[in-house]
Amino acid sequence: MKIEPTELEKAVLLKVSGRMDAENAHEFEDACQHWIATGAKHLIADLNGLQYVSSMGLRCFLSVAQKLQSASGSLMLCGLNGLPRQVFEMTRLIALFPVFETSQQAIATL
Amino acid sequence: MEPERLTLPASAGSLSAFCEFVRGGAAAAGIAVSEFGKLDLVLEEILINIARYAYSPGDGAVEVKYSLEAEGRLRVEIGDSGRVFNPLEANPPDLSAPLNSRRIGGLGLFLVREMVDSIDYRREDNRNILSFTFPRTSRAE
Repeated sequence: MKIEPTELEKAVLLKVSGRMDAENAHEFEDACQHWIATGAKHLIADLNGLQYVSSMGLRCFLSVAQKLQSASGSLMLCGLNGLPRQVFEMTRLIALFPVFETSQQAIATL
Repeated sequence: MEPERLTLPASAGSLSAFCEFVRGGAAAAGIAVSEFGKLDLVLEEILINIARYAYSPGDGAVEVKYSLEAEGRLRVEIGDSGRVFNPLEANPPDLSAPLNSRRIGGLGLFLVREMVDSIDYRREDNRNILSFTFPRTSRAE
């Protein structure tokens, strides 16, 4: 899994690609924690290049979103497709996140 | 055909070898490559559960066995010698809870049940054995 962060005016965009599994999901949570600690209120995860996510990854998305929500922020998702989209839909987690087709659409809401 | 078997430690480090092993069977069974991600996910969730609940604290081995059930279908059995642990008895997650009260656990096995057919647990010779067929052909709802 690769995580490429970009600092924007009102959010941090995290481009996540590859496979997020039990061995590496914590890296995503750690990256989000890092940006939350530096004061980011909104995180946008661009998942266009994400091919795989298991329940360990879902836990990380959920835990980061809960932290941001309690600080009046949000974790926005975009580019969700393939198996990751199916997994978010099956678990109905998709209804708990602001979901956009592209990062531009997510940024436009801020 | 005789079932193919692979035994490795119950840990996240064994995951890619187990996935590669069962993917070999899936390819031989004629299962579409587009289904392989789901197969990996099923194996990961079950393996992580075994490491976390059947063996913890401590460690042990997991045996993954597969055989051709029918054209395009694979039968998989996953066995461990840990404490009695039937993952099918776990409470289902509440999928309608809002974000602030959504519980973080229970999603792994839920996904497994969504992706396989005929999932069954048995205790045999002091071993936990979970079996299923893949991919899922029927869809409830």
